[in-house]
Amino acid sequence: MTEPTQEITLLETLDHLLDRGVVIAGEATISVGDVDLLYLGLNIVLANIDALVRTTKP
Amino acid sequence: MKAVVIGAHLNREDVEPIARAIPVGDLFVSGFEVADDRPLGDRDLLLQVADLRARLLDRATFIAIRYGFAARSAEDVVAKCAGLAPRWRGLLIAHREEVEMTLKAAAAAPPSRPDRRDFASGAAYMRALHESAHAVDVDPQFRGGVERTLLPLTTQHRWIHRDDSSVELAMLVRRRDLDAVRAAGEQLRRDFATVPFLLSGPWPLEVFADDHQQ
Repeated sequence: MTEPTQEITLLETLDHLLDRGVVIAGEATISVGDVDLLYLGLNIVLANIDALVRTTKP
Repeated sequence: MKAVVIGAHLNREDVEPIARAIPVGDLFVSGFEVADDRPLGDRDLLLQVADLRARLLDRATFIAIRYGFAARSAEDVVAKCAGLAPRWRGLLIAHREEVEMTLKAAAAAPPSRPDRRDFASGAAYMRALHESAHAVDVDPQFRGGVERTLLPLTTQHRWIHRDDSSVELAMLVRRRDLDAVRAAGEQLRRDFATVPFLLSGPWPLEVFADDHQQ
């Protein structure tokens, strides 16, 4: 079982990998099956914030 | 074999032996060789490349290239990157001793998300989504706290609206100031215990090397 902070760190790392940095023209859109990885990256951002809210609630 | 392209570096020794160094003009592009049939969406590959990014950043500051560029040959890398190399070189020299840090904070009051059914066209819906994201802000007191504690430790900063539930602060920080930035983050956590935020990094040059964020 991973700790919430470890999960957040991993999600943040993947968010940066998928959604940051210089885009080389024509090379940014990749897919896994039918799911666009950029879309997956967006979901990671949302999941990340959701996890933040959950873990900081008293 | 194909090479997953990771970043652009000033010196060959900034890359080797952690990754393959591919010369592009006066620079070197780092690549991680994988089998042709290995999909880029492979979970273990993503984690391997993330780990390589961190190890390369330990060595020296570099420009991150967004995940998704897999080159079939060195010529392929040169063809895609040679035109960018002069600008990259200037950035790498200017920011050699700096790294990026990110503070991501939950929106103070997230706006209601636009409903696609309320818009006649996809373009209008996309505009509404964009405007919704840009209408988001963090708690003004928290923003004030960030400006007092964190921003004096940065050489450049940029507030970024990426979605409608959070706001992100990208910061350029001198490597020698990283501990002070983390300490400022802890102070913010004590001062604003109810504001959900995440301070992360160091990261390579991502936001400050990306034309689309200028």
